[in-house]
Amino acid sequence: MEPVIDLNCSLPSEGTFLTPFALIWQDILAQAMTGELVAALNYTALSTICDDPAEAADALEHAAGEQGHAAAFAAEGRKIGVDVPNNVNAKHWKRLREAFMRRIAERDFIGCLIVQEIMLESFAVASYARAGKVAPGSMGRTFASIAAEEEEHIEHAMAILRTERALDAQRFDDKVHGLHLEVMTTLAEMLARECTHGHCEVCHDSCVKPSLSEVSLTAAELRGASLRQYLKTLDMLGLPGEVTLAWVSQLPV
Amino acid sequence: MGESVAGVAANVAQQAPAIDVDFALIGHQECWRAAADVLAVLRGPEHPPLPDDEIRDIFPWIPPRAICHVEAGSIAGGKARGVYIDSFIPPDRLDANYMRDNLARVRGAAAYAIKAGAKIVSLGGFSSILIEGNLDQLPERHGTVFTTGNTLTVGFIVQGIKKMCALEGRNLRRSTLLIVGATGDVGSGCARCLAPVVKRVLLNARNMERLRTLAAELEADGVQVEIATGLQQFSAEADVAICAASLASPSLLLGRIAPGAIVCDAGYPKNLSPSGQMAGAKIFFGGLGQITGGLRFKPDFQGILNRHPFPDVVHGCLLEGMALALERRFEPFSQGRGFITPERVEEIETIAARHGIFLAPLYNADGPVEDGVECLAGWSAG
Repeated sequence: MEPVIDLNCSLPSEGTFLTPFALIWQDILAQAMTGELVAALNYTALSTICDDPAEAADALEHAAGEQGHAAAFAAEGRKIGVDVPNNVNAKHWKRLREAFMRRIAERDFIGCLIVQEIMLESFAVASYARAGKVAPGSMGRTFASIAAEEEEHIEHAMAILRTERALDAQRFDDKVHGLHLEVMTTLAEMLARECTHGHCEVCHDSCVKPSLSEVSLTAAELRGASLRQYLKTLDMLGLPGEVTLAWVSQLPV
Repeated sequence: MGESVAGVAANVAQQAPAIDVDFALIGHQECWRAAADVLAVLRGPEHPPLPDDEIRDIFPWIPPRAICHVEAGSIAGGKARGVYIDSFIPPDRLDANYMRDNLARVRGAAAYAIKAGAKIVSLGGFSSILIEGNLDQLPERHGTVFTTGNTLTVGFIVQGIKKMCALEGRNLRRSTLLIVGATGDVGSGCARCLAPVVKRVLLNARNMERLRTLAAELEADGVQVEIATGLQQFSAEADVAICAASLASPSLLLGRIAPGAIVCDAGYPKNLSPSGQMAGAKIFFGGLGQITGGLRFKPDFQGILNRHPFPDVVHGCLLEGMALALERRFEPFSQGRGFITPERVEEIETIAARHGIFLAPLYNADGPVEDGVECLAGWSAG
C-alpha cells in the first residue's frame, strides 16, 4: 500500500552519516508519523458528519494540524539522515482506522471523539512526552511540543464529552466501554512489550521494541505512560476510577 | 514519573466520581504477591493472571484510585459505607529514595477520598506520612477529616502483648520490654501504654535526640529506661519486644533477645526478617483487629486487601476510621507526631468495642498462635 505522503522510504544513500541510533529513531518516528496521518484522515472524515459548520471547520483544522505534525516528524528524520516511512494500512493502524470509520458510518460524532480524542490521543500524548524527554536536539523539542498540542485537542473534546455524559452517565460509560474493547485492545497489542503477532508493518526491519533501551526508552514505559494518561483522561470525564482500572487491567499484555 | 503522579491529585480532585461514602481507607500493597492478587481480582476470573514481570511493569503506572467499595457492620446495628483507595505505591519502592513520588501518590489518593466525599479518611501504612505536615498541600477538604488510625493500632498491639503473655504464662510486670521504632507514632504510643506495667523499657530508634526526649518523659513517671540507636548496645536482653519501625521490607534482625521472648511484629510492611534466628521466640503479628459486625468488599477483595488467616481482620489503623464512622464521630482522632496517650487508646478501644471491633486472634507466618483457632480455608502460611 502506498504511503499517504510519499517521502521516499528508501534508507539513506551510501555516504550519508547515520548516528548509531538513527535507525531506532526512524522506526519511532515512523510510528508517530503514521499515527498523525491516521488522525488527519480521521478528522477529515469527522468533518463530513458534523452538522454544525463551525465544528466541521474545526475538524478540518485539526486534520491540517495532524498533517503538519506528520510533516514535522518527517523533517526530524531527515535531520538525522533517515527518511521516515509511514503506513496507515499497517495491520494495527488499519484496525484502529476501521474502528473509527464504523463510527463515521453510524454518524456517531461522540463515538468518534471518544476513539480519537480519548483513546488515540492519550496514546500519542503520553508516548510523545516520553520520547520528548530523551530524543536528541530538535527532535526532542518536536516530540514535546506536539505532545502539548495534542493535549490541547483533548481539552477541546472534554467539554463536549462531559456535557454528553451529564445527559446519561450510564449510557455514556457503556458506550466508552464498548469502544474501549474495540480500540484499546488493539492499542494494547501495539503497546505490548513484544510484538507476538508478527511484524507491525511500520518498522523498517525487525521490531524496534527490543532496541528502545538504546535510546533510553522501553516498551514498558511507553505502555505504562499511555495507559496512565488514558485512565487520567477517563477520570477527568468522570468515569468511576475503579471501573476504568478494571477495564485497563483486562487488556491484553 | 514523579511530576506526572503529582498531577494526579489535581486532576482527581476535579473529576473523581462522586460516591456517597462515610469513610475512605487509603492503603498500599506490602509485597508483590499482594499486588498481583489485587490485579488478578480486577482482571476477573475469566482472564489469566498476569505474569510477574508484567505486573512489575504495569503497577508503577497506575494512578491512585478507589478499587472497591467497603461496607462495615456494627454489632449495635448500624452500617458505614466506604471505599478502599490504593495509592499503588510499588512494594519495592517504599524506601526513602522514592519519598517524593510516594508522597505525591498518597496526596493523589487523599484528593480522591476528598472528591469521593468521604467524611473520614484512615491512612494505612506509609500513607500516614501525609498527616505529618503535608495536609496543607491537599485540595480543599469540604469537611473531610484524616486520621492516621495509629491510636487503635497501638491499642491492639498492647492488647496483643498482654494476651500473649497470658497465653504463655508470663508476668508482664517482671518483663524487660524492647521497642524498635520507639520514637515513631506507634512506638511511642506503645511505650506510654506499656512502660508503667513492665520492669524496664529498652527504646531503640535512629534519632538519639528523640530517644532522649521520650526517655525523659517516661522516666519522669518513674520508669526504668535505657536507650540506644543500635540493637546490640543494650545492657540487658528483652523478653518482650515490639517491632514498630518504618521499614521498606522485612529486614530487621533483632539479635539479642531472651530465649523464648514474646515478639510482636507490628510493622507494615512487616519488620522481622524471615531469616532472623530467634531461638524459641513467640512471634505474632500485632496491631490487628476483627470487625465482628461484618465486612464486605465490592468487588470481592476479601482475603486480598486483608490477607489474614481469619475473617474480617483488618489493620487497626484502617479499623479506626471505620469505628469512628460507625460512631458517626467524624474527627481527626489520630494526628500523628507522637501524641498517643493511654487515655486516647482507651477511648478509641471503647468506641471500637461498642461496634464489635476487637483484637483479632493472634497469628504469625506459620498460622494461629492460639490453640483451637481455625484458619480460613485457603489461607497459606508463610
